[in-house]
Amino acid sequence: MNAIIDVANITKNYGSSRGITNVSFQVNEGEVFGFLGPNGAGKTTTIRVLMALLRANSGTAAIAGMDYWQQSVEIKKITGYLPGELSLDPDLTGGQILEYFGHLRGGIDQTYLKQLISRMELDPSKKFRQYSSGNKRKVGLIQAFMHRPKLLILDEPTNGLDPLNQQEFVRMVQEVRDDGRTVFLSSHILSEIEQTCGRAGIIREGKLIKVGGINELKDIKQHEVIITFTGPAPIAAFQNLPDVSHAEALQNGDAVRLTVTGSIDQVIKIAAQYSIVSLKSSEPSLEDVFLRYYEGDGTVLQEASNVSQ
Amino acid sequence: MFLNNIYLKTLRSFRIAIFGWGIGTGLMLYVVLLAVPTVIATPAAKADLITLAKSFAWLAEPVDVATPGGYTTFKYGFLILVMALWPLLTGSRILRGEEERGLMDALLSTPHSRTSAALQKIAAMWTALLSMAVLIGLIAFAGGINANAGISLGNALMFGVNLAIICGVFGGISLLVSQFTLDQRSASGITGGFLLVFIVLDMAHRINPSWEWVSRFSPIYYYNLSKPLIPSYGINFGAIAVQIVLCAVLYTAAVALFMQRDIGQTIPLPKWLRRSQKQQTIAQALPERNWSLQSVFARSIADTIKPGLWWTLGIAGFFSWMVVVVKQTENSLNALYAGSPTLVTLLQKVGGTNPTVNTALLSTFFVFLPILLMVFTVTQASAWAADEENGRQELLLATPKTRLTVFFARFGALTTALIFISLVTLGGIAVTAQITGLGLNSGNLIAATLSVIPQGLFIGALGYLLSGWLKTSIDTGLLSFLLLLWFVITFVGPELNWPDATLHFSSLYYYGTPLANGLPIGNLLEILAAALLCFGLAAYRFTQKDIAR
Repeated sequence: MNAIIDVANITKNYGSSRGITNVSFQVNEGEVFGFLGPNGAGKTTTIRVLMALLRANSGTAAIAGMDYWQQSVEIKKITGYLPGELSLDPDLTGGQILEYFGHLRGGIDQTYLKQLISRMELDPSKKFRQYSSGNKRKVGLIQAFMHRPKLLILDEPTNGLDPLNQQEFVRMVQEVRDDGRTVFLSSHILSEIEQTCGRAGIIREGKLIKVGGINELKDIKQHEVIITFTGPAPIAAFQNLPDVSHAEALQNGDAVRLTVTGSIDQVIKIAAQYSIVSLKSSEPSLEDVFLRYYEGDGTVLQEASNVSQ
Repeated sequence: MFLNNIYLKTLRSFRIAIFGWGIGTGLMLYVVLLAVPTVIATPAAKADLITLAKSFAWLAEPVDVATPGGYTTFKYGFLILVMALWPLLTGSRILRGEEERGLMDALLSTPHSRTSAALQKIAAMWTALLSMAVLIGLIAFAGGINANAGISLGNALMFGVNLAIICGVFGGISLLVSQFTLDQRSASGITGGFLLVFIVLDMAHRINPSWEWVSRFSPIYYYNLSKPLIPSYGINFGAIAVQIVLCAVLYTAAVALFMQRDIGQTIPLPKWLRRSQKQQTIAQALPERNWSLQSVFARSIADTIKPGLWWTLGIAGFFSWMVVVVKQTENSLNALYAGSPTLVTLLQKVGGTNPTVNTALLSTFFVFLPILLMVFTVTQASAWAADEENGRQELLLATPKTRLTVFFARFGALTTALIFISLVTLGGIAVTAQITGLGLNSGNLIAATLSVIPQGLFIGALGYLLSGWLKTSIDTGLLSFLLLLWFVITFVGPELNWPDATLHFSSLYYYGTPLANGLPIGNLLEILAAALLCFGLAAYRFTQKDIAR
């Protein structure tokens, strides 16, 4: 697949405060790529570099084969952008804002625009200053989608949206993906990434620490396995297994709770040697991955760096 | 320490203003106090000054103008116009501005009542005003000592206090008005309108003494009843009391309304005053053909229209009115001018060489034309810087428009506004001169009104250039300081016989006296070249810089 976004060793410094350091990743055409990170990690800086709002100190970035800085106008013709913090003329109505940006983009399909407004349940006759934060977000989302861009760059798109609108947003992203177009979205909401993205990158303290498929991210998570035995739990049998990082006895010694990193194959094989009442393995959630990556645990980071990008 | 409570936190945010306005205004007084001995160097000059001042009595009441205190009070009769700007902006900011930025929600989520929050903010504003008063008073006192003016410390301080109180009145009006507007800018604008109306009302009794009852409706009338810098005139405590009572009423009403209304909303207007809101369909709410939404330039023009029209009305109106005033005083001044060589010299210093009386007098006022136009330009340059700081450029620059396009569009709209204001001013003066029969050289009038455009372009381009590095507040502060400096150099420099080289530092020097002496082509080209240089550098900087958020 062709990479529509190709970022290589981008560094952006803000003097004494942190920016991003040697960030590299690719986003393929037609995929939905998530960009995860806590506040201040460098998500917005990366996005603003891609939009040529910031100039990188070093490194290169290309969108659709075009240099992010030299050919930014050409890039913006094929891009829809939603900034993290939306600031627009408070005295214009939502409708006026959408028409204005429509004109700046060389004209848009009015029918499609009306559809988007209906889908997002926006009242376009209100002034921007009168909108709630959720409605302001809707204006931003509609203007990003309304010209059917080849690439959508969305910075925390669902901030402030109610659950129904969030679901509508997910459907809109899926439609874009089905249409063969690309979405690059940043978020700290893992369920949103899980629902919408095929791949994701995790950024922390300005450094990209992991890029991989959503399933790859799940595979490196810790599994929690609770096994209840008919008799006393053979806890010693599990304690020395290489993938078990923690084992403890439960329920008067009849059950054991294991924290497993990687495969649970060995655990199943050992457990099978005993009489079991039940076995419960909790499905790893992306939330766990996220939290784990931001624990600051060096071992984990080392593991992550081994995952192919 | 300054973050311990709302009062101190608010006061902390005023610290630069306290020193800037306090010391700046104080120095303006100081310089004029020093200039007085030069202005009244001979008995003839003294006599001429007294006569001349009487001709300008409609502008400010001339009392003991041949003394340092009297001359300074007379010369800075318009000081309220400058000083009221700070409270006017601050009064609308402390409550409405905070609400607009969403800060009031957070503030009122702390265990403070609305009354307490509002009163602490008002107290901080008054502390700032009184601090400015002290600085102004102390500097004026020092100037008085140097000029041997006989101004006591108490009177010098009372001059500052009187000024602070009238400023407090305008802060109160602004605060009260802001309870009825959704944004801070509207409240400041409306209060600015009130300020101009009150200045005109106050003038009424000086133009015609029988109109004194009209002037009594203006708080500025009561401010002018005290002249503490003139030892023989002193302080009218009754007038000060009137202003204090007015303040009490204004602030009590504002706080009472603030207590009653929803945060982020206004006091509900009566039904008959409310604009009816018809339910619109999506199609109706999408103004696809609206001219102002077609391009960045069109949008920029639309954004400039409202303030631009107000400024046009103010500037064109003021100078047209000046024509009427000059015509009215023409006869008396002709006699005065013919019999006084010293006065000729004085007028020539600011009005140009060998003009007719009316032209010379009008020419002295024309120094205010580039200043007013530049003040308008500073507000627009400040809006450009603020738009970037507030993130308003973010989405705009995410559209397929080059940064240069956006830059040119915004500066183009500013240039259009400057040309419009100048042309309307030219038209207004020409028509008024025609109606009143005041003879003016048409070519010089065109030169005087249109050659202010490069002045505006220069300060505008400089503001755009500085915004490439500086925050809005610092950019605006520097531009305001420059304007003040240029004004002092041009307004006071000739009286102090400052060397020509010093006068060159003022942009206004390059404007010259075109109404009297025609267009100084060389100077015009110099200021135009400076404007182009700043414009080029600003454009280059904007294409290269990181866009702030």
